[in-house]
Amino acid sequence: MPDLIHRPALTKEPLVGERIRLAPMPEGTLLEVRGPQAELPALEAAADAAGLVIRTNGPDQWFAISGQPMLRLDLPDIFSVTDQSHGRVRIAMEGAAVDDVLAKGMAVDLFDFKIGAATTALIGHITTHIARLDRDRFELTVLRSFAESLWHDLETMSAEFLDR
Amino acid sequence: MASLITCPHCGQRPKEEFAIKGAALARPAPDAPQGEWYDYVFLRTNPRGRYEEYWHHVSGCRRWLVVTRDTASHAVEDCRDAAERAPT
Repeated sequence: MPDLIHRPALTKEPLVGERIRLAPMPEGTLLEVRGPQAELPALEAAADAAGLVIRTNGPDQWFAISGQPMLRLDLPDIFSVTDQSHGRVRIAMEGAAVDDVLAKGMAVDLFDFKIGAATTALIGHITTHIARLDRDRFELTVLRSFAESLWHDLETMSAEFLDR
Repeated sequence: MASLITCPHCGQRPKEEFAIKGAALARPAPDAPQGEWYDYVFLRTNPRGRYEEYWHHVSGCRRWLVVTRDTASHAVEDCRDAAERAPT
């Protein structure tokens, strides 16, 4: 059998401006986890041991994420896990203007969106999971087939801040 | 149509993030007479004023919500998770 070749869904060069930077993130491991909110500490401990980070995704729902591929998450039976590693793509967005850019296409009030917060919302017409990793840094997670379209929207939204 | 919905999980969001199923009615018993089921499936009151509907937060938390809104003024009176509310 021939070797399978990994082809990323989003093959874009980073978009760079003084106050904004967009870049595709490595397609590693992305697991969708469902389970009772009360068991979150157990999930966090298991994810920590597996080298995955947890992002909240609505009530009783999380993503377990890493840039490393093929990570395994062992959880009690009360959780259900769906491997979305090849189903979703992450985009990193950072810079002083990141709030201004996102506000053009999304209705979440970023003033109240604290570091570590994450939610799912519409950016334009595309459902996107957004997580604030730092004051000026976001991680956007989108369905693989929408990644190019979202990138195009983000490029348009960032246009005024890009060096070109 | 009310344009901003305060989702109990996600906060204030635009209506474009939601899909509307329709009136939140009490489901008849499985062995209820056929007439009762016919009304439940097909008959709607279409009131002017207060109305309870099932909304799905498709582009958000993906939870089913019950939105109480006014069909005339578009004011949203209440919005809660469908799991927390027994149909009336």
